[in-house]
Amino acid sequence: MGRIVLDTVTKSFGDAQVIPPLDLTIEDGEFAVFVGPSGCGKSTLLRLIAGLEDTTSGKIAIDGNDVTQVPPSKRGLAMVFQSYALYPHMSVRKNIAFPMRMAKMDQAEIDKKVEAAATSLNLLDYLDKKPGQLSGGQRQRVAIGRAIVREPAAFLFDEPLSNLDAALRVGMRMEILELHKKLNTTMIYVTHDQVEAMTMADKIVVLRAGNIEQVGSPLELYRNPRNLFVAGFIGSPTMNLITGAAAGSHGAETIGVRPEHISVSATEGTWSGTVGVSEHLGSDTFFHVHGTGLADTITVRADGEVDFKYGETIHLTPRSDVIHRFDAQGLRLG
Amino acid sequence: MSNRTIPRLLQTPAVILLLIWMLVPLSLTLYFSFIRYVLNSLRRPEWTTPSFSNWRGFGNYEFVLNSKDFLFAIQNSLLIVGSILFGTVILGVLIAVLINKAFPGRGIVRVLLISPFFVMPAVNAVLWINMILDPVLGLQGIAVGGLNNMIDGLQNAPLVGWFFSLWPEFEPISFRATQTSAYAVIIMVTWQWTPFAVLIFMTSLQSEDEQQKEAAILDGASAWSQFRFLTLPHLGRPIAIVVMIQAIFHLSLYAEIEIVSRGNGNKNLPYLIGEFANNNIGAASATGIFAVILANIVAIFLLRMVGKTLME
Repeated sequence: MGRIVLDTVTKSFGDAQVIPPLDLTIEDGEFAVFVGPSGCGKSTLLRLIAGLEDTTSGKIAIDGNDVTQVPPSKRGLAMVFQSYALYPHMSVRKNIAFPMRMAKMDQAEIDKKVEAAATSLNLLDYLDKKPGQLSGGQRQRVAIGRAIVREPAAFLFDEPLSNLDAALRVGMRMEILELHKKLNTTMIYVTHDQVEAMTMADKIVVLRAGNIEQVGSPLELYRNPRNLFVAGFIGSPTMNLITGAAAGSHGAETIGVRPEHISVSATEGTWSGTVGVSEHLGSDTFFHVHGTGLADTITVRADGEVDFKYGETIHLTPRSDVIHRFDAQGLRLG
Repeated sequence: MSNRTIPRLLQTPAVILLLIWMLVPLSLTLYFSFIRYVLNSLRRPEWTTPSFSNWRGFGNYEFVLNSKDFLFAIQNSLLIVGSILFGTVILGVLIAVLINKAFPGRGIVRVLLISPFFVMPAVNAVLWINMILDPVLGLQGIAVGGLNNMIDGLQNAPLVGWFFSLWPEFEPISFRATQTSAYAVIIMVTWQWTPFAVLIFMTSLQSEDEQQKEAAILDGASAWSQFRFLTLPHLGRPIAIVVMIQAIFHLSLYAEIEIVSRGNGNKNLPYLIGEFANNNIGAASATGIFAVILANIVAIFLLRMVGKTLME
């Protein structure tokens, strides 16, 4: 069980308030992702939930129990750190057994649980090795194993994949998701990578400067970004933001058009410009178009077969039903 | 010329210099240890110049082994080195952990903590034996006197007076005495070398991973468990280094022993060598060879220990 409720939580370091009053509910069994640029307070928020930082004011409740003043070890949460934070002098077996040993569990019970965790994480062959002898992915799995054996109310992940190479990251992402499906335990995952957020989350919490910009499922955020920040942050490549007359004609201060919602043509279209650099991914090609008079660069996604050379003229037509309109304050219209 | 010749040729001067540096004193010591060689003898003036004609074989060694102070000096060398190592490592770890926490004035405290290390050994010994440990004029004498005065006063107090009249009068300890002079040396050298241990441990503590500690906190580890399972293993290597460097230094302690009691009741091998060297160079050299052997035994043990921690 792990329903986590934050009630007007704030955090200040000295005079600097990094988390202004913040309310958030994470339902039991949910996979919630905190995402935002560096320094947006997402890690601080996670550490507040874990109890590694004290709240300045406000309340944190887990399953209805107020845990604001409860020490970290008594909150029933397990955390996986960016640096894995394995104990370097202990073997993998002892690392995984450490929380149970601290809880003074029976040795036979400990052995059984370590075996079970190691089996499910594919670590059986490495149990007697030291963390220093393992690869990044294996270390990450040991860290997860150490979290699993505690049978926590919720798992907290603090950018767990950012030290892994790209291929391994995709694999570990799937492993963590499978773990979530299998255990059905609440997971809170912090990342600055919106792709990780989109692919993993049940619920994304977009943060900026300690403020929650928007909370919702990945597709909600993609379809209906509440403001310009979320619009620019979610989606890859980022949304084209256009101001001026083109926006005025839609009755908005700013309009946003996603690269994948613009069709290209060599002969006719609403807008036209010259092709700058293009990125060929095989399945898709991204064109960076200049000189449209709308913005410095308009990014367009086209099919991988479409070919425009550097400097050629290109015509663009946005899909009118998915144009996002924002007012002068950057808030979504209609 | 093979392509190894030139590098070897270029290394030669340095290697030869090192060999001379090490081998000449060692061979001279060996040579002197096998001949009769004294600085002053009216009866046998020929012994005052080193020469093969004064060959004595293992006679000097026999003489040293049979001298009443030899075994005592070896025991005492080990006692002093062992006690100082024990004291400095424990105090060093405790103080390093203590000042690793942030508190106002930490910079000043650190500088003050390091300062004993800059005191010269002889000055250190003079200060401690005269100003602190002296039973009459030192802090110790004053403190014991003050304590006795206080108890004296309390003996007349109502209600609790009877309790204090049961107390004996405290006697200050004379650290120049035969039985206690070794402890004086241990105390003053521990005081002087604890900062060295603190310095090494402190730098090591600063490289300790904070996330590991946080992980341990979440895993339910108490402050003691964190120290026992994270900090202490982390300090394993620096402890080995501190032990090794200090052992090398303290096997050759001299000034403190000389100043505290002039070797009365407290000799180590270097001090014994010094005593023999007043006249009998042959015996002093033989003792020197024993000291080399002892140092090697200690070094082998320590290298094993350090090697073990480095392997882990």
